[in-house]
Amino acid sequence: MGPVLLKVELTGPYASSFTEHCHWETRLEGGRTPTSRLFKGGSSPDSNMKLDTSGLESTAQVFGTSNVVFDGLQMTPSFELPNATDFDGFQKDAIQMVKPAKGTTTLAFIFKHGVMVAADSRASMGGYISSQSVKKIIEINPYMLGTMAGGAADCQFWHRNLGIKCRLHELANKRRISVTGASKLLANILYNYRGMGLSVGTMIAGWDETGPGLYYVDSEGGRLKGTRFSVGSGSPYAYGVLDNGYRYDMSVEEASELARRAIYHATFRDGASGGVVSVYHVGPDGWKKLTGDDVGDLHFQYYPVVPATVVEQEMGEVGGA
Amino acid sequence: MSIFEYNGSALVAMVGKNCFAIGSDRRLGVQLQTIATDFQRIFQIHDHLFIGLSGLGTDAQTLYQRLVFRHKLYQLREERDMKPETFANLVSAILYEKRFGPYFCQPVIAGLGDDNKPFICTMDSIGAKELAKDFVVAGTASESLYGACESMYKPDMEPEELFETVSQALQASLDRDCLSGWGGHVYLV
Repeated sequence: MGPVLLKVELTGPYASSFTEHCHWETRLEGGRTPTSRLFKGGSSPDSNMKLDTSGLESTAQVFGTSNVVFDGLQMTPSFELPNATDFDGFQKDAIQMVKPAKGTTTLAFIFKHGVMVAADSRASMGGYISSQSVKKIIEINPYMLGTMAGGAADCQFWHRNLGIKCRLHELANKRRISVTGASKLLANILYNYRGMGLSVGTMIAGWDETGPGLYYVDSEGGRLKGTRFSVGSGSPYAYGVLDNGYRYDMSVEEASELARRAIYHATFRDGASGGVVSVYHVGPDGWKKLTGDDVGDLHFQYYPVVPATVVEQEMGEVGGA
Repeated sequence: MSIFEYNGSALVAMVGKNCFAIGSDRRLGVQLQTIATDFQRIFQIHDHLFIGLSGLGTDAQTLYQRLVFRHKLYQLREERDMKPETFANLVSAILYEKRFGPYFCQPVIAGLGDDNKPFICTMDSIGAKELAKDFVVAGTASESLYGACESMYKPDMEPEELFETVSQALQASLDRDCLSGWGGHVYLV
């Protein structure tokens, strides 16, 4: 068999980190020894191996005509292979390195007067608290909110990217994008990066022509429509309080109190949640931040410490006397 | 998370002028879930001797029971209380007995010796003693505690000032640790 030429073209958001050394060994079937080393440690971008996956065009059409805005994203999805002997293990390690535990509590629910969105504000790295004042509710545009759970950088970047796309949609179609459409855009983007180690567990909440909308979107590519969601390590605790106290026809004050209480209880039980509870309301005129309370203060507000009454001497019953 | 971070704990002991302070957090958790907010980690051995046990909660309780037993025997035989240095040696020996199946605890011992001279020391889980003249720390929040104590410590503090210092150092470090918190117990002798 003559020399085999392999053209592998890979680009994408991780391209720059993989562009350095890249060598590829060809193995012929039948267990023969590698016969060619196509290049060695090329440092110039031109000498990289690229994997041409243009044959697999299933998701290529998503990018549509708005390519000009996004540098580095091409019609043909392709990616550069990293310089490692154990490629599968490398990918797994890369995912583990980037993937922080989804230590957080966020929730959102639809009720009569719109959507209520609430979140804590603690960022943790294993056992260490890196910040107590993280903004986990991201304002995509004046009538749509996204929540952050998982990788902070991933969530912030992709929500901002979604905001850009929503605005472009508005300009192109002369009307606002629906919550359904916005969440589908985000879900499709995340599906393209499936398996590459993004960690995003977000809820898109907004008000469009059909009324309030709430979708859960995650980095595995899942997208769910629903009326009540909670995401993060503290979500089981929040669900307990939320499901118990939920009614569709609540007033805005009742709903915000329910949301706050649910997050507070989650921060009590979950070590990775804490800081400040932020509660936002999305109504027909857009979102509005309602409250931001420190969970320490909430604890003493819900469960005030009653000074123990000091009993000097107590006469008890003596059994049988 | 390692076995030492399973329950979460924070301990600090600091020396002042003829006095010492020992403080701990109050949280007991199972990894990230909080189970209790009133867990006791500091135990009294006698009037002038306290031991705090960080790490796995069950080992802390069992080890404390063993130490109390040994100390009571000592009291019966010698008709006096143990000196802190002697007690530290006892703890170290008991921990090393289990060298190949250790207690997952890091003790912090604080006591007043002869002439009310304060004594503090800490140990790793197999009994390596570390004596210090200023402060010792242990637990999941130990790195934060080192920083806080290092910056807040002054030699020869009076009891009230020492109490404030230990409390502030403890609270500041607990705020940076997911696995410990929910208040603190501080004993000042």
